[in-house]
Amino acid sequence: MSRGRGRVRTIAKKELIEFVRDWRTIVAILVIPLLMFPLLFILFPLLLASEAAELEALQVDVVVQTNGLPEELGMVLNASDLNITYEPLPVLERLSSPSGDEARLRNGSIDVLVRTQMNGTIVEYALLYISTSEQSLEARSRMFDVLSQWEDNETVARITDAGLDPNETLDPLRWDGDVAESDVATQGEQAGMALSLFIPLVLAVWTFSSAIQPSIDMTAGERERGTLEALLALPCSRMELLFGKWLAVATITGVGVLLQIAGLLFAIGYLATSDVISAPSVSWQALFFLCIAVLLFSIMVVAIELALAMRSHSVKEAGSILGPALLLILFPALFTQVINLDGIEAFWFAIPVVNVLLALRELLMNRIVYSHILIWMVTSTVYAFGAAFYAARQFKREDIVTSLS
Amino acid sequence: MRQPLLHVSDVSKRFGDVVALEQVSLDIYEGDIIGLVGSNGAGKTTLLRLLAGVYRPSSGRVHLADDADVEQARARLGVVPENTGLYARLTAWENIRYHARIHGVPDDLAWKRTRYFAHHLQMEDALSRHTKGFSRGMRQKTALLRALVHAPEVLLLDEPTAGLDVTSARTVRELVRQLGEEGGTVIYSTHQLAEAQRVCNRIVIIHNGDVRADGTPEELLEQTNSTNLEDAYVALTRDAARQRHEDSKPLSKWARWWRSLFTSTTPQEVMEDE
Repeated sequence: MSRGRGRVRTIAKKELIEFVRDWRTIVAILVIPLLMFPLLFILFPLLLASEAAELEALQVDVVVQTNGLPEELGMVLNASDLNITYEPLPVLERLSSPSGDEARLRNGSIDVLVRTQMNGTIVEYALLYISTSEQSLEARSRMFDVLSQWEDNETVARITDAGLDPNETLDPLRWDGDVAESDVATQGEQAGMALSLFIPLVLAVWTFSSAIQPSIDMTAGERERGTLEALLALPCSRMELLFGKWLAVATITGVGVLLQIAGLLFAIGYLATSDVISAPSVSWQALFFLCIAVLLFSIMVVAIELALAMRSHSVKEAGSILGPALLLILFPALFTQVINLDGIEAFWFAIPVVNVLLALRELLMNRIVYSHILIWMVTSTVYAFGAAFYAARQFKREDIVTSLS
Repeated sequence: MRQPLLHVSDVSKRFGDVVALEQVSLDIYEGDIIGLVGSNGAGKTTLLRLLAGVYRPSSGRVHLADDADVEQARARLGVVPENTGLYARLTAWENIRYHARIHGVPDDLAWKRTRYFAHHLQMEDALSRHTKGFSRGMRQKTALLRALVHAPEVLLLDEPTAGLDVTSARTVRELVRQLGEEGGTVIYSTHQLAEAQRVCNRIVIIHNGDVRADGTPEELLEQTNSTNLEDAYVALTRDAARQRHEDSKPLSKWARWWRSLFTSTTPQEVMEDE
């Protein structure tokens, strides 16, 4: 091992040791990404299900104001799980007018107020509720179910009374066979399509955001704490210093992104057992190019962050530059989600950030288009080297030795 | 005749329009314990950074006896910056070992040297402790051990006793004196003449970027016809000392305007306005 490589390794190792000794940073950059997707995909639906069960167990109070109901509707209402109180219909210009009943809905003494009146053979109705109350919304939903049930029954009865077949009348266009069978895309391909809208965004944003804190700590942080001067007086070149720090930040970022993907795959695996989504079918070749794309992207991102942080005189200044800089990744990332990959023009694969995100989308859908790969690989390499060159220039600045401490 | 170990030849250093050092020339010999004395902003730290190869001269050259530029010969120098530059999340030994490894010193040899000097500085027990809770004195001692671990030819110390208690300052001075007695070369910046007189065999007075005097304490007294070094220093530095410059980046017009919006005026300025 050459002396230069040994020094780069020593610098990177020391940075990593310092990093792992701060448990708060470990939690922020390594534990959170690992748990984020399992929490989002597994615990969140469980929480939603539990909330739904709680809502279902609720007793809701309904007041029905009417001047006469069809007998069947009354029977359906009485057979439901709603606590119904009947009142005479007051004189109103319109049934939907809250009139004097608004206060009862607001103070929660009733959850829903239904008004009905007969107009010939038509039952006219209005349903008053308060949309800011979960209980009122639940009561409204249940009331609609009951009314729909009666309406369906009544429609069938009226069609039958008219001498028609309700099935033929209501359903003149029918699907024959299994709907799922008609899509020729495999479940794996469908999963790839769904995940291609999600994983590139997560990878890009997390790669950038997880590199912010270590980049600042290892550059502006060193400068602020006054540790950089002693380091610059050592027999290592500034390029070795840059490579050592780059290696440390890239390792931390890489581990963070890998843990996030592991968490995501675990969540997908869990959901696959419940048939929500399948594992994406991605070939080894696509996976290889995917890794190359992420690698080139992280070389560029980490170099830019180190350079911007090294330009800053303090941790505060670096934070106020790198925080908003996340938007430079976020906007293109969101933008690429809506770009149609069918017949896409080649120039898209030459635009910084956008090119890697589009490459990830294509590869996750197992589309290997060599002309696209050539363009994004060449341009990403150029951008990565450009970023590294810019970072090297910042590390060679003489004023980086001055500290605030 | 003694051969110089380190040459500073007509070195000037500018930061934008500000001249920090103007055509400084010095020859540093083996066994020299040089006290670099000057007020704040005189150019001591700039000169030490040039000697350490951290700054590049705007003109002139800093090179070693074998003509190697100092930037390429940093392995032969040991540096203790003003603020020590220790990593708080590493132990004292880890801080020392980090520098030793970059110097290419094997761990076992680094440990042997560290133990030797730690014994002299009475800090053997502190080597395994994280430096986060260290006192200023302990930090300074650790930084000294770190600078000595690769047996440098020249040791550069930037205000090594600033902020230290009496006992710690004395320990540091004794170590420097011992290094000198053993033939080591030390360049020691301080703004305290008495300290320089006690520790150093050669004093360089630097003022507003110029070397005003260079010699033994006796030579300085003779040069200025003074009876004590303080009088000699005052005689050599009669013009007003300038402000520190290299750390203060000038603000742009817009930055000045923005900052003025949130800057309160002093009572004096209010009175002047009225």
